[in-house]
Amino acid sequence: MTAVLIVALLTGAILFGIGLYGALSQTNLVMIMMGVELMLAGSMVNLVAFWRFLHPEAYSGQMFVLVVMTVMALEMAVGFGVAIARFRARGSVEMEEAEDLKG
Amino acid sequence: MYAQAFFVAVFGLAAIGFGVVVFRTSSMVRSALALLFSQTAVGCMFLAMQTEFLGVLQIMMMATEMSIMAIFMVMFMMDPGGLGGMDMSHQKRFSIGAGVSAAVIAIAVALLSDWGPAADQVPDAAAQTRALGMELLGRSMLIFETAGITILTAMIAATAVAIPVQNPASKNDTEASE
Repeated sequence: MTAVLIVALLTGAILFGIGLYGALSQTNLVMIMMGVELMLAGSMVNLVAFWRFLHPEAYSGQMFVLVVMTVMALEMAVGFGVAIARFRARGSVEMEEAEDLKG
Repeated sequence: MYAQAFFVAVFGLAAIGFGVVVFRTSSMVRSALALLFSQTAVGCMFLAMQTEFLGVLQIMMMATEMSIMAIFMVMFMMDPGGLGGMDMSHQKRFSIGAGVSAAVIAIAVALLSDWGPAADQVPDAAAQTRALGMELLGRSMLIFETAGITILTAMIAATAVAIPVQNPASKNDTEASE
C-alpha cells in the first residue's frame, strides 16, 4: 500500500515541477495560468494520497482539497479578468510587455 | 491492491505526459486540451484512490474550466494555431533548473521520509460523502463559509476589472456636442 502512496507522491512532485517550469518560462498570461493550474493539481494529488493512505479518518484532508479547488477556480476568474483588462489597454497579454505597471 | 497501484501509476503517467504536452505544442487549443486531459487523469487518480466525490468533482470542474480556457486562448493569443512558429517562452534554462530542482526535492522528501503504516481500508463512497458533508457543516464550517465569500469577492473583482473604464472627460465632450 505504501508503494501506491509513493507513486502518487512522485506524480504530484513531477506535476509540480512541470507546472513551475511552465509558470516561469511562458510569456503569455494564459499559459502562465496553465502552469499554476498544474502546480495546484500536483498539490491536490499529494493531499488526496495523504488522506487516503495515512489519515482516512480525518476528513479535513478532503476539505483541504476542496479549498485548493476553490483556489484554482479563483485564479482562473481573476486571471481572466486581468487578461481582459490588459488586452483592452494594450492589445496583448504578453507579460514581457508588462514590465512597467504604469497603466 | 495491485489493481489500485496499476491504475494510479497509469493515470499518473497520463497526467505527467499530457502536462508535458501543454508546454511542448505550438497550438494553443491543443495546449488547453492537453491540460484538460492532464487534469482529467488527476481526477481518475482520485477515483483509483477511492476518493470518488473529489474525483468526479475534479473531472467536472476541469472540463468546464479548460473549455473556457481554450476559448480565451484563441481570443488572446497572437498565434493561436501555432502556424507561425512563434517562440512564446523566455528564461528557459532558469525555468528548467527551477522545475527540475523543485521536482527532485519533492521526490527526495517522498522517498526518504518514513510515512508509517498505510491504511488498508477506507469508508465507501456514500459514507465518505456524508462524513465530508458533516465536516463542511461542522468543524470546518468557518473555512467553508470563508471560501464562499472569497469566491463571491473574486467574481465581483474579476467583473469590475474586466469592465471597460469610461473616461468622464470624453463622455462630457460627447454630451456637449449633442
